Amino acid sequence: MTKVKICGLKSEEDIEIINKHKPDYVGFVFAESPRRIDFNKAKSLKLILDKNILSVGVFVNENMENIIKLFDEGIIEIAQLHGNEDIDYIKKLKEKTNNNLLIIKAIEIKENINNFNEYDDVIDYLLLDSGKGSGNTFNWRLIKNIKKPLFLAGGLNSDNIKEAINQIKPFAVDISSGVETNGYKDNDKIKKIIEVEKLSRGRYGKYGGQYAPETLMNELIDLEEQYEHYKNDPEFIKELDELLKEYAGRPSLLYYAERMTKDLGGAKVYFKREDLNHTGSHKINNVLLQALLAKKMGKTRLIAETGAGQHGVATATAAALLGMECEVFMGEEDTVRQALNVYRMELLGAKVHTVTNGTKTLKDAVNDTFREWADRFYDTHYIVGSAMGPHPYPMIVRDAQTVISKEMKEQILEKEGKLPNAVIACVGGGSNAMGSFYHFLDDEDIKLIGCEGGGKGADTPLNAATMSIGKIGILHGMKSIFCQEEYGQISSVYSISAGLDYPGVGPEHANLREIGRAEYYSITDDEAVNAFEYLSKMEGIIPAIESAHAVAHAIKLAPTMDKDEIIVVCLSGRGDKDVASIAKYKGVDLNE
Amino acid sequence: MSNIANAFKDGTAFIGFVTAGDPNKEKSIQYILDMAESGCDLIEIGIPFTDPLAEGPVIQQANLRALESNINTDDVFDILEEVRKKSDVPLVFLTYINPVLAYGYEKFFSKCNDLEIDGIIAPDLPFEEKDEIDEIAKNHGIDVISLIAPSSKERIQMIASDATGFIYVVSSLGVTGIRNEIETDLEVIIDEIRNVTDIPTAVGFGISTPEQARDISKVSDGVIVGSAIVKIIGDYGENASEPLKKYVKEMKDACR
Repeated sequence: MTKVKICGLKSEEDIEIINKHKPDYVGFVFAESPRRIDFNKAKSLKLILDKNILSVGVFVNENMENIIKLFDEGIIEIAQLHGNEDIDYIKKLKEKTNNNLLIIKAIEIKENINNFNEYDDVIDYLLLDSGKGSGNTFNWRLIKNIKKPLFLAGGLNSDNIKEAINQIKPFAVDISSGVETNGYKDNDKIKKIIEVEKLSRGRYGKYGGQYAPETLMNELIDLEEQYEHYKNDPEFIKELDELLKEYAGRPSLLYYAERMTKDLGGAKVYFKREDLNHTGSHKINNVLLQALLAKKMGKTRLIAETGAGQHGVATATAAALLGMECEVFMGEEDTVRQALNVYRMELLGAKVHTVTNGTKTLKDAVNDTFREWADRFYDTHYIVGSAMGPHPYPMIVRDAQTVISKEMKEQILEKEGKLPNAVIACVGGGSNAMGSFYHFLDDEDIKLIGCEGGGKGADTPLNAATMSIGKIGILHGMKSIFCQEEYGQISSVYSISAGLDYPGVGPEHANLREIGRAEYYSITDDEAVNAFEYLSKMEGIIPAIESAHAVAHAIKLAPTMDKDEIIVVCLSGRGDKDVASIAKYKGVDLNE
Repeated sequence: MSNIANAFKDGTAFIGFVTAGDPNKEKSIQYILDMAESGCDLIEIGIPFTDPLAEGPVIQQANLRALESNINTDDVFDILEEVRKKSDVPLVFLTYINPVLAYGYEKFFSKCNDLEIDGIIAPDLPFEEKDEIDEIAKNHGIDVISLIAPSSKERIQMIASDATGFIYVVSSLGVTGIRNEIETDLEVIIDEIRNVTDIPTAVGFGISTPEQARDISKVSDGVIVGSAIVKIIGDYGENASEPLKKYVKEMKDACR
């Protein structure tokens, strides 16, 4: 959630308005400005300010002792420096306040600026503005490679703030003249800003959101709050890290596919071996995080939808590990083609519900899991399995999976001394792909490629190629791209892969495509099965049929690239579960 | 006074729900008129959808029956056009938002206005996402009706103070469907609503018997029945007119 700072408060009336709307920060200006106040005024305002709101002192080349005095007397918690304060000055200020005073360094944006990271070692936050509170917006495109949490300032108001939040995703927005009328803070404008910020939650461009029944809204809001709390809780982080390491087997290997590389005769191909995780896929990364979170939230029962069964198996596993009840909803058609996983879940102590509604696949399993959750949420957490659904799910699941690209980046740098040229992953809802893309998003030269289930072909009725043929819609709590008929009825989709057999895609992917940051291709059943066999024979790795879609694209792409270029493919899961259905696809009868 | 307010002016309103096009176009017109004639003060018209997330099995089946008859949104408007030739009963849509988005918000609400449809209830459009249609609907004089659930708690006042038309109070957790007992303390919820607004409240989810309707009438301005009506159509198919009329009359009498 983006934080809000309202700057330039100067009267008791201002504080009254602030206390009503509760932004996260307020700013007291001690520099030359129409909004300047003195020490005593600030002290009296701080006394009546809501205790949960942090105050920021705004300074230009101020005598250091004055700042320290304001801090020592509890009038400010943060100093925002707009002048020529250099690294030494900031270091000294930090030392003299035992590192307890937080520092925001403000930088004025000029066209030629390209280093935003000069102060990173000594500051806590960075603030970008068009001038010293000039009230004008600047060219947001100039913002890049920011490492510190960012306060975005300069000409923000209720009309452009949504765009600013969605486009820049700053840590906080800083508003002053945008909430004033005739030089005074305006109650209605502040109220509007706070509302707009709330409405921007969980948006990826125009996609995402929280299109959920009212019955579940408090539960979703609580989930977001608890997640925001625990993700910064050192004990939670430690516990999760330990599970990922000791139980799931992280870090997963980054494997150089030498034979395949030679055979294709182009770019070097590496595989991120998520198939080697416990339970055999990337799903465990997300499930461990959510199951642990659910337990902290006091829930005793986990429910989940599953397509191929990988997410169901992972959820059943986490439930067994943490001593929780587990029920999994699976489309009837999928229980047939992934019968082994059904038995696996039952073996792990889960109850599997066969979903006979609608298309009898993943889409309807999601519907029934939401229905179950709406009926019983007081003791139950719904572990959504992909980077989809209502906010905060796309964010939580993505965050859980970013470990994939974090490791990829470290490992490829270690092995090759440089970053890859392309990262490829399969996309159903898109969690392994979001996890694979995330830490490369800012490296704009790296191609990010998602592969979806093309079934018999995107030009036939039998496919799950959402990005190729879908259009904007709202389903399962999110605005995104969906395969649908003219009147908005959701299409039945088809893919040989139960995990990609979904008529939608996660909202962040919809946005990545829209802004041109990632490309999406549909891979047909035939191509995927060929890749499944190819990788088995070439490298001795049987990939999940889902992951084989990404492999198929690598097979096409590698020969078109130079030998010193690198492709990393996320091998999201292992293929044991698919062996029977691929045999059937090839006309082999295993029961003979 | 908007047409919705008219539904509440004469004692407790009895509000019936029916999925448009169930079991087919002709019968659907007939059934809506039957309901109006035998005592429904307001009728909620469901637009069939493949993925009705908040519905239990009974209404899910109705959606399927209508979709199997190839009913689309234009057919739904056709049905209502026929209804309007014979009845001025207040009508609101109950629809998931995707069919409306696909139809085009402007075109959809302009048609609503033409056919004097007074409101829209979208179960997948909570307060936080109301912006999606609020302005366009208002411009065409259509009320966006808010839902309040047993789990809404501190959200009640926020939602109620912004509500228009009437407030749909969801009686129970979970999805629509017939329930033997309503366990939620509705009085507490409705009292809280009353602290901030005077617009009518109507309670739905799980109500099927005259006894339940009578009890709910004591605390609420309206009683909403969906699954029990839809079940009659499911059971009797094309011959549901008589049992439907009998049931609606019985329920309306219980509300008086």
